[in-house]
Amino acid sequence: MSDIMENPKGGCVLAGINSVLGALDRVCPVYHSGPGCCMQTTAADQGQSGHKNSCFVASVSIPSSNMLEKEVVFGGTDKLRTTIQGAIDIIDADAYFVLTGCTAGIIGDDIVSVTNEFSSKGIPVYPIDTPGFAGDSTLGYEIVWNNFIDQVIEEGVEKDDKLVNIFGIIPYHDTFWSGTLEEIDRVLSKLGLKVNTFFTKHQGIETIKKCSAAALNIIINPWLFKGPSEKFEQKFGVPSLRIPGLFVGATDTTVFVRKVAEALGLDKALVDKVIAEEEDYVYNYLAQAIGVVSWKRFAVVADANNAVGFTRYLANDYSFTPVLVIVSEPIFRPQDKERIIERINDLEYATPPKVLFLTDQYEINKAIREEKEEITLLVGSSNEREIALEKDIQFITGAFPVNERLIFNRTYAGYKGSLTFTEDIYDNL
Amino acid sequence: MAINLSNSNVGTRENRIGSITGYVGTLKDLAGQSECGTLKGCSRCFSQSSTCLSSCGLSQLAAIRDVAIIHHGPAGCSVSASSAYYMAKVMAKKRGVTSDTVYVGTDMNENDTIFGSTATLKEVILEVNKRYSPKAIFVSSACATGIIGEDIDSIVEEVRDKVGVPIVAVHCEGFKSRIWATGFDIADHAVLQEIVQPPREGVKTNKINFKNFFESARPEIIEMFKNFDLDPVFLYCNSSIEELSHLSESIATTCICGTLGNYLGNALEEKYGVPYVRSINQCGIKGFETWLREIGKVTNRSDKIEKYIEEQRAIYIPQIEEVKKELKGLTAVLGMGPGYTFEVSRVLDELGIKVVWALAWHYDKKYENGDVPPSMKYLLDNDIDFEASVADQQNYEVMNILNKYQPDMYLSRHPGSTVWAIKNGTPAVYVADEYMIFGYKHTLEFAKTIVDAIKNRSFEENLAKRTKLPYTDWWYKQNVDAFLEEAI
Repeated sequence: MSDIMENPKGGCVLAGINSVLGALDRVCPVYHSGPGCCMQTTAADQGQSGHKNSCFVASVSIPSSNMLEKEVVFGGTDKLRTTIQGAIDIIDADAYFVLTGCTAGIIGDDIVSVTNEFSSKGIPVYPIDTPGFAGDSTLGYEIVWNNFIDQVIEEGVEKDDKLVNIFGIIPYHDTFWSGTLEEIDRVLSKLGLKVNTFFTKHQGIETIKKCSAAALNIIINPWLFKGPSEKFEQKFGVPSLRIPGLFVGATDTTVFVRKVAEALGLDKALVDKVIAEEEDYVYNYLAQAIGVVSWKRFAVVADANNAVGFTRYLANDYSFTPVLVIVSEPIFRPQDKERIIERINDLEYATPPKVLFLTDQYEINKAIREEKEEITLLVGSSNEREIALEKDIQFITGAFPVNERLIFNRTYAGYKGSLTFTEDIYDNL
Repeated sequence: MAINLSNSNVGTRENRIGSITGYVGTLKDLAGQSECGTLKGCSRCFSQSSTCLSSCGLSQLAAIRDVAIIHHGPAGCSVSASSAYYMAKVMAKKRGVTSDTVYVGTDMNENDTIFGSTATLKEVILEVNKRYSPKAIFVSSACATGIIGEDIDSIVEEVRDKVGVPIVAVHCEGFKSRIWATGFDIADHAVLQEIVQPPREGVKTNKINFKNFFESARPEIIEMFKNFDLDPVFLYCNSSIEELSHLSESIATTCICGTLGNYLGNALEEKYGVPYVRSINQCGIKGFETWLREIGKVTNRSDKIEKYIEEQRAIYIPQIEEVKKELKGLTAVLGMGPGYTFEVSRVLDELGIKVVWALAWHYDKKYENGDVPPSMKYLLDNDIDFEASVADQQNYEVMNILNKYQPDMYLSRHPGSTVWAIKNGTPAVYVADEYMIFGYKHTLEFAKTIVDAIKNRSFEENLAKRTKLPYTDWWYKQNVDAFLEEAI
């Protein structure tokens, strides 16, 4: 037990696993857990992510063995077997993944034997044997990909030098995931690349099976996916390019495009043309709105990926003054923290802000409340709205969890997203 | 029932009052069997997600003002925190009060499940007490805590003197009951154990306890009760610990939903002699009048109540009759908790809408006092019958029924349930607010909402045309009870 956690942002590892599977088309999770785990984990990520829920099966429609006292005492594999069989009978899915709650984990139900009974008959049923207490939502993202690498992705698929895989944006746990992946897809497609986002365009289990064909894995996150990317390279020979933080705005998105182009040896003339077009598009709009906003001194509370993106955009591209950045997801490895701090501090002109790593809402509120320097803009999650009101600071909801608006394909990332971000600064004066 | 407040554990609804979660048949058969005591629920060999009793129990407690909930379990279990936090702040703001209630998790990890973590729990309790100075502390368990045998009762006893405010262990292992409404009883039990005090000598009051969810109709009900010289105390949303400590002094207890209020109402009656108003609930015309008259009887205010009924009838009944013309002959399927299903069925019948199938998520065959629930008794006495099932929120059963019966509307009270009906092309009314059908005024509004929902169904039709539901054709051809089996 780490310590006191007021309002954790997100759920257990099961919540993360469910979010990833829920974002894949025609994939059906099967919970081997207590009766409440599915609703709780759905509520943890999807339920706080701008009111958007998984489309294929979600919350009340997800099969679950609903383990009760009887299963706790005598074991729940019989109940699991009939639950999987029922799921196959009534849900027309391309693949089924069996997940374990704390209960199944502690009593030690052997779910792999049960799933083998089905997979040996050629029915695509896969076990993900990681109980809820093993970690948080972000770990869930890595667990799913580790399992895909071990069990789903095929070896010996013919290579495609134009195909890239995108990693690092966690469905639902990053509220803007759809829009962000669509913007990345849009920009990379202009460079002539084929893009596996995995979670948009109705991509599903077939895309995952064949993703070993890719020429490059692009990880857009300062710390996530270290283990899986190494495993991926070892098993399938696909190298990785890490973009250490989400890119918001023309400057960082152009850097992203150039890095990808360099890694894949893309035609320079085409790359220059795409960059010129995109930058012109953004700056043509920015040029039409000068003088509306007065300069702001800002604070950011977000997961590492978005914290890097927002801070760098506002400080570098928009000349606002960074004061305080709070990374509000659990980061354990010291080198990851260093990389995040470096990205936030490596600014063009601005003085680097104070960077804190806090997950407990009490401490987050305290840090903002007690900050001596003036803050006039706060970009955070719905949980920070209260402290913004208390200090009378302009507030923008830019990070998970988001409770007060519906979000379909909105994003602040990339070229186009930065315009939306800027619009929202004006919207909420 | 015998309520044992000296033990922090409360029996499950299955064990206490014979509640079931699996049944397919007719309303008459269900009621008949429960009356003569032969009803035995079925279990399912295949199921979809149910709901956790801890989210029901702890969100109730988290709605109380200025308390601390400490959820001793993995981070995933503390997630009701988000909605509890959000709702509490919104509802407090709406009423113009402040609430400093806090909901913390202890973030139990793999090591803790092996070595235990009661020592750290103790520190967490003391730190929470220091940080937030709550007026009461509720320490809850989770599945993992229960299975590894963490003794939260002893920890609570150890710190009781140090914290100096009421503190109580709340047993919320999710695997304990397949009926999430057991969570409501668990919350009531905790409040009764540590917060409610015996009545003070010589205190005279005209207060009536009103157990509800979010007190959204608070001003309106206060106004109404003024006519009868009654002062409602709404529970637990925005309740203060001080208010709750005096529940034993009120002259009666009533509730918006029998499933929600049954345990507290009966316990207050049994322990302190506060009468519990037993009647069908306030939904619809008949329900509203029956409930008011019962309050009149229990609190000795029948004259005032008859006068009020007469005045209100004159205003609303002609309007309701007018809307009914547009509803005549329509068909409905509904899926709700039992505290609403059989009440709303009655209202639909009143409005001239034919219920073709009613699903109750669970079913209490009797209440704490041993009676068949009043809503069922009413339907039986009035010879109203339809196909009914007890469905534990099973979406596949709902979709099978909607697909077969193609009703004009689907009504549900649970988030996530109506959206699937809409994808099926069935207009759906999300009866989210507990006061949506309350009394004459809201019954009229409810009837108008139904007219709106069924008249303009272009969104439902367009969405359904373009959406493929996950269910196989095979399933739609099966009987809805295909996966039910006799309970062992």
